[in-house]
Amino acid sequence: MRVIGIEKRRPLYFLLVGLLVYPVQALYGTEAQMPYVLELPTGFPKPKVPPDNALSIEKIALGRFLFYDRRLSGNQSQACASCHQQALAFTDGRARAVGSTGEVHPRSAMSLTNVAYATALGWANPLLDSLERQVLVPLFNERPVELGLTGKEEEAFDRLRTDLRYQRMFAEAFPDQRDPFTLGNVVKAIASFERTLISGNTPYDRYVQGLDDHALSEEAFFGGRLFFSERLECFHCHGGFNFTASVTHEGNPFDETSFQNNGLYNIDGRGSYPPDNTGLFEITHIPSDMGRFKAPTLRNLSYTAPYMHDGSIATLEEVIDHYAAGGRTIHSGPYAGDGSKNPYKSNFVRGFVLTEEEKQQLLAFLRSLDDPEFVTNPRFSDPFEPWACVADCNYDRTVTVDELVRAVGLALGISPLAVCLPADPSGEGDSTIDELLQGVQALLAGCQGTPGMTRP
Amino acid sequence: MKMNWRKAVALFAMTPVWFAEPGRWAMAQDVSARFDHRGQCVGDRNGDGQVTIDELVAGVNNILDGCGYTPVEIRFAGHVGDEPFHCGATYPNVGRNLGEFTPSDFRFYISNIRLITPDDREIPVLLEQDGMWQLEDIALLDFENKTSPCVNGTVQTNDTVRGRVAPGTYNGIRFVLGVPFRRNHGDASVAPAPLSLTAMFWSWQAGYKFLRVDTALDGYRIHVGSTGCYYAQPGVVGGCARPNRADIVLRPFSPQDDVIVADLAALLADSDLGQNEEGTPPGCMSDPGDDDCDALFRNLGVDFASGQPVAALQRFFRVMQRQ
Ligand code: HEC
Ligand code: HEC
Repeated sequence: MRVIGIEKRRPLYFLLVGLLVYPVQALYGTEAQMPYVLELPTGFPKPKVPPDNALSIEKIALGRFLFYDRRLSGNQSQACASCHQQALAFTDGRARAVGSTGEVHPRSAMSLTNVAYATALGWANPLLDSLERQVLVPLFNERPVELGLTGKEEEAFDRLRTDLRYQRMFAEAFPDQRDPFTLGNVVKAIASFERTLISGNTPYDRYVQGLDDHALSEEAFFGGRLFFSERLECFHCHGGFNFTASVTHEGNPFDETSFQNNGLYNIDGRGSYPPDNTGLFEITHIPSDMGRFKAPTLRNLSYTAPYMHDGSIATLEEVIDHYAAGGRTIHSGPYAGDGSKNPYKSNFVRGFVLTEEEKQQLLAFLRSLDDPEFVTNPRFSDPFEPWACVADCNYDRTVTVDELVRAVGLALGISPLAVCLPADPSGEGDSTIDELLQGVQALLAGCQGTPGMTRP
Repeated sequence: MKMNWRKAVALFAMTPVWFAEPGRWAMAQDVSARFDHRGQCVGDRNGDGQVTIDELVAGVNNILDGCGYTPVEIRFAGHVGDEPFHCGATYPNVGRNLGEFTPSDFRFYISNIRLITPDDREIPVLLEQDGMWQLEDIALLDFENKTSPCVNGTVQTNDTVRGRVAPGTYNGIRFVLGVPFRRNHGDASVAPAPLSLTAMFWSWQAGYKFLRVDTALDGYRIHVGSTGCYYAQPGVVGGCARPNRADIVLRPFSPQDDVIVADLAALLADSDLGQNEEGTPPGCMSDPGDDDCDALFRNLGVDFASGQPVAALQRFFRVMQRQ
């Protein structure tokens, strides 16, 4: 522990800190490697977790840092979070993502909303069947370069090794390993953090779970009827609690993945999609897989524009127009063609006629799937931005005695840093006396200023 | 039969067999351990259904001196035409267009290495498990040394396969260019060397690049690996539509006197480095829609359409006498 500015503090604080040490020993003496149970919204099943990567608060906290850490790219310019930004429900607002070396990805960064349930990751890759497998793609992909770490991972790990906070967090997340700075561990930690990105606090959820009968506006209610109707057919591909057919969960022996062609292109009249975005075909080489993509979740759409695998539809209004027309017609240019006549198009995309009122209703329904809490939840935010309310372990903007006890526990080294990241705003992997005293102050006087994600 | 002490040991070991009905005196052992992978009784060399004293003596001898394998080193050389490969060197007259070629990576996996006897028998080479370049029957050959522009590389290089082989006369070699199926689709993030090299990961295809050749300036790259792979059950790859593993046979070849040259100029001889199939990445990433791969795969000895080996086509490897 670093000792700074002790003289200036009132003795009362010392007494308090001292008194806290005893209960810490008693309460949290055995806190290492705590199994973690995901907090799930009512009605959500438990996601599957691979047996060799059980969730723990230590791995989740470490994964959160790694997800936001630019040192994990070849030229240190990008992190996962550069393309997956929380405020945009973990997308980047671009039609096509741009990698660390400036290379443009053929596809759009996907939302990580409820990614723990996905059976296949990416727009159209049945081979990426676990978050662990998927992490390797952005790290090492060369077509296009995303984080650009190919052959440079040891250099990146060396950068992490010098960081005091990581020294503690890696050791706590992966105890009893001589050198925990390994690729396998980085992958496991990031995947663990991704599994916590659960979003289900929406007007729709509150309504269907019977928590709030007024959560859904009348407009959205009728929009929902349209969405689930045989006239619009949306639910066939975007059904279930996550509004996508490609989900599984604990206890479900079937890992269904569904890839569908929804009629965006038809370049040569024989169903072709642009050569760099052929969908499932790119992996399977089966002609009828041309243009088949995963129907993504429709949660948080207000944050994730533009839409479709290549970001080629800017607004939700246009998405609805696309489905109403039974496919998209492009009149000129290299991709010209009538998508509605694509021979591989799903026959659930048949087209329909909506009145303007109905269209507004459908839009209102889609927007009732927005979860504003998800895009502001401090647990998913950039952990390098210190939480201004010191020792506010659960980010609720008040500090309780219990939280202070936790903070002392991590200062004493008897509980992991992960139990209270806000107790270490300075980021040296420990809670200093100074930081603890700030926590005491917050306990006694309340959090000063607005706690938030502001850099010091 | 002349007695020596090894035979005495063998005879002693066999006494229970003589004095008892079969089975009764056999030592406690899982019965499956007494048969080899072809279902033949272990120690029954000639397949006549019994283990004779001579066979048993051979077994005891093998315990005593490690089967009498002889060490073997198979030397490779990375070339561009007649010139040795160097990171960043510029080679003229490469490809159908006779253009300039500046490589920035050159690595490949080989596996299932066998030496061929004059009477056409294939004898497996057992690789030294060195924890670095060789794992099981897989070896990585690596000609780049991380000097610019080979920035994704490793400082260490490897041009030699080291192992053991049954003593004998050999006049040929056969191996597979690629990682065997059973090792190609595991969890790369925790795989042992040499399957731990991220530059050889091919994660979006759930496998490895078998051959990796990059060029410095124009981004022309060659990544050869299995494509069209699919899961048979969750998490378990059941097969790949196009395995893309070349089956290389080189004859005559003497492990002592020869080097195997892997020649990028020969590989690229029928490709036009200045041209690129529209809408595909420059070079060849084994994408079946990329016609740029066709000529290249032929020179590797793989039929591009099916992904199956056609050994007779290959021109990438050739045998050269050691200097
Ligand atoms: C250059 C921008 C970029 C970076 C950096 C990036 N991603 Fe992505 N991400 C994408 C794109 C684009 C896709 C869609 C890929 C595809 O379908 O080919 C994607 C898809 C995903 C998916 C699949 C989501 C789903 O619902 O199927 C996950 C999970 C993911 N990324 C996680 C990560 C992680 C973890 C990192 C950091 C290790 C990361 N990404 C870094 C752009 C990026
Ligand atoms: C046949 C299955 C199918 C049906 C029916 C269907 N969709 Fe889709 N949806 C998809 C697929 C597949 C995609 C991704 C397509 C792509 O990017 O190429 C998609 C994409 C979307 C997107 C873009 C999401 C994003 O994050 O980019 C929205 C919004 C959407 N669909 C809404 C709807 C609505 C509303 C309906 C009903 C009118 C509907 N879908 C009907 C399969 C379907």
